Amino acid sequence: MSRWRYFFQRVLLSIPVLFLVMTMLFVILRMGPLDPVAAMLGPEASGAAAAQIRENMGLNEPLWQQYIDFMVGLITFDLGQSWVIQRGRSVTSMIRIYAPRTIWLGFWAILLPLFIGIPLGFYAGLNSNSWGDYIASFSGIVWLAMPNFWLAIMFLAVLRRTQGGGFLGFDWYTLGPDIRSIIGTPPLDFIGFEQLLPVPSGFFFDGGTLAVAIKVILPAALVLGSASMATELRIGRTAMLETINSNYVETAKAKGLSNRVIIWKHVFRNALIPLVPIITNEAFLLLGGSVIVEVLFGINGLGRLYFISLTQGDLPLAGALVYIFTIITISMNIIQDLLYTILDPRVGYDQ
Amino acid sequence: MPNDNGVSRRSFLKATSAGAATAAVAGCFGGDEGNGDGNGDGNGNESGNGNGNGDGDLSNVEKAQQAWERAQDNPAPEDEETRMEAYLEMEEAVRDDMVLLPLYHGLTERMWYDHVDVEPTGSLGGHRQQHNETSTEDGELNLINSTVTSLDPIQSTDTASAVIINQVYENLVHYPNGVPEVENQLAEEVNVSDDLLTYTFTIKEAQYHDGSELTASDFVYAWRRLAESAASERANFLLEPGFLAVEHETEGEGEDATTVPDSLGVEAVDDRTLEVTLTEPQPSALDILTYDSFAAMPEGLVGDIEGYDGQYTQEEISQEVMVGCGPFQFETWEPGTEQILTAFGDYHDGAPNLDRIHWQVIEDDETIWTYVNEGNADIFGIPTAYYDQENIDAEEDDMGRDVGTYGPLEDGETVVNYLGVSEMSTFYFAFNAAKVPKPVRQAMAYVTDHEELINQVFEGRGVEAFSFTPPGIFPGGNEAYQTFVDEWQYSPNDTDRESAQQVLEEGGHTADDPFALTLTTYESETFSEAAGITRDKVSDLGIELDTEEAEFSTLISRGQDGDLEMYSLGWIWSYPSVAYGLFGFEPANTNTDLISQGEADGYYLNWEAELENEE
Repeated sequence: MSRWRYFFQRVLLSIPVLFLVMTMLFVILRMGPLDPVAAMLGPEASGAAAAQIRENMGLNEPLWQQYIDFMVGLITFDLGQSWVIQRGRSVTSMIRIYAPRTIWLGFWAILLPLFIGIPLGFYAGLNSNSWGDYIASFSGIVWLAMPNFWLAIMFLAVLRRTQGGGFLGFDWYTLGPDIRSIIGTPPLDFIGFEQLLPVPSGFFFDGGTLAVAIKVILPAALVLGSASMATELRIGRTAMLETINSNYVETAKAKGLSNRVIIWKHVFRNALIPLVPIITNEAFLLLGGSVIVEVLFGINGLGRLYFISLTQGDLPLAGALVYIFTIITISMNIIQDLLYTILDPRVGYDQ
Repeated sequence: MPNDNGVSRRSFLKATSAGAATAAVAGCFGGDEGNGDGNGDGNGNESGNGNGNGDGDLSNVEKAQQAWERAQDNPAPEDEETRMEAYLEMEEAVRDDMVLLPLYHGLTERMWYDHVDVEPTGSLGGHRQQHNETSTEDGELNLINSTVTSLDPIQSTDTASAVIINQVYENLVHYPNGVPEVENQLAEEVNVSDDLLTYTFTIKEAQYHDGSELTASDFVYAWRRLAESAASERANFLLEPGFLAVEHETEGEGEDATTVPDSLGVEAVDDRTLEVTLTEPQPSALDILTYDSFAAMPEGLVGDIEGYDGQYTQEEISQEVMVGCGPFQFETWEPGTEQILTAFGDYHDGAPNLDRIHWQVIEDDETIWTYVNEGNADIFGIPTAYYDQENIDAEEDDMGRDVGTYGPLEDGETVVNYLGVSEMSTFYFAFNAAKVPKPVRQAMAYVTDHEELINQVFEGRGVEAFSFTPPGIFPGGNEAYQTFVDEWQYSPNDTDRESAQQVLEEGGHTADDPFALTLTTYESETFSEAAGITRDKVSDLGIELDTEEAEFSTLISRGQDGDLEMYSLGWIWSYPSVAYGLFGFEPANTNTDLISQGEADGYYLNWEAELENEE
């Protein structure tokens, strides 16, 4: 089987998966124990108001009709309206408001560990069994063992005590750009279109706001990325060790290449290969992990939206978010497969 | 999770987690006196349960039903005493039949920094407070809020939305600072006809935020929206008997019944005079009118009722636009993040002291605590996990509120101002009487130690409740309340396992042959802890108690279906009226078959079924 055929098979296979998820969502939303009208109106659900809502929501239609409407709605990205959290606001507009914050958090939560975890791992691998290696590896394990919610609470407790110059010798609030609070939604309006005229008239970029946006997100991103940072460190160390002990490095050494050339040109690139799936997989972890981090740091992103939609019984919103998360997960899988297909000619179903 | 702001009014309370709550009040003693011998001996299921109250052989459920009807039949102001006696009888019937076990009344606590000058609030809650009197050093007031759902007064049902709406929109009458005494807001004068059915309001001169003038026809329009708009959530407040019951016509039947457009008995006699016609006398009419949904709005602003095209759609008015005549006008609302209002210079009562109010939306305790310690919130509550009763240094003022200081905060230095107000709310465990026999219900009451529960589980943030109606509005006043508490026969503030065992044995439930039931609580650590304590206390007594948690809306819909045996809920009074809480106990109104069909709206007690048991 050709590898491209394999790839398209994988893409096709994701369709029934998505279909199954959509059907499960329908069953949970429409046939589950929760009466949507009761969820909206609370104990007052009665009489004309309830009948009106039932009619508006199409709950009086036959079940098969509701199912078809639901599926068509999801496929065309008409995700319906929130019931409870913001009655009547369309889910797509809510996602437009909340998603950028989660993307901003996710971006830094992937970037920070990359620039801390991998270099540390490579350093440990290159200097294996030195004190530096021990310290890096040990702290990596300890870091991995600390749960996100606990780390977040510690960050908050320590950072807020630095206000006015605390025991740590610096004041986080005035270090770099001034911030009023370590919690809250980062200002993401540092870049955009000029709106002086009714039509966009040009770009603007505000470096000060960008600095604040980065500073506000840093602690949360560090916490969210902490698990992957430790994983990257340990895998990076192993990969580096394996590569420097492989035969071609011996050959290169025998050819008289300098250490610098060997490490930067050959070892480094090869050691990165096992890390690629680790990094793509982080996206899944971030989706789940962002819920608690966003709640604790008061960042109003998709994770927190998902959390409150579940706790307040806003099922259409929660369902739509699950649908979005599913699509993201499936696309990540497809991208990963695409990367494998391109990178590794051995990929195929038959082997 | 909802914090102190996240509760809904005129509806069941969700458990509070953050800055709500305290004060343990001392107790009450006395056993069975006043109830004759019957009660102490368990009184089985025989009718009468020996009540020495002179009602002959009426069962409690009959007594409650008759009392409710008597109160309804005597609505005139001079019948106040008759009504209060009837309400007291209902409370007694609920207590003697133990269909509902009150646990505690909420306590609102509020802290604020010295640079803020703010009036203390009353028992109806801080969300009733308009901030036109409040001032701060820099002219900006920073507060914490929960998630706001809607900015449209006819659609708002939660406190977080009410907080915003109350600054922007105004009613005819209001409770200044949440103190339960009605005062005029947009009304200048109120006249009531002799038959108590016609109210005539003279309206103040006031300006809306868009520059237009307030007129009486604006109220006609706004109330028509409340009655007719598809978005209206509180039409029952305006139309239904027991509430305002304004004259109107309906078309269609049962679930399809709708109000006939423009049939409402509200009329603008001239620009300054509004006439409202009720179908039955309502002693609490003005109290009901303080509710946010009755707010004035420029005529024709929204086109969601017949005869108006509307400047804005309902969606816009619920999310992007607010046009009221309150002291503050709308600036921004970033959903889930912040709301900002700015001062309205042309406010009819003089421009407010503040320039603007900013609310940050924070719902997590840890995050609130960070925000508070950073000094970013001017007025706030303290999450229970960081709360210490020892830090309070307060004295009772002439309104029964605790006023003083709280501190230090986390930095070990900052001391802030403190206010503790017993609020009009009651949290309780209730029973489905059709499923749980009386001896089991009474045994639960015997083992419940209110004082211990409040101190251990709720960190002292509550006032022990022995009646459903809060002491502040108890029928017959403070003396009647004291007598009522003295007669509370289920060993108050004591875990009386002996009496519980005795009453269970007489009911035929022993440790070998226990009665099994499930206690369903909120998704709340404190309530599930309280449930766990109760479970341990009744073990080996003849009750096998299972505990489970249910999400709030699930709890409600299961309750409506009669699918709960014992459950936790709460009730908060939107206005200080005894009937407003007790209507839910009218036995005929507790039938879950009717509740699930929307034909009754009592608590999910199935108390009526007791009638059949007795026969």
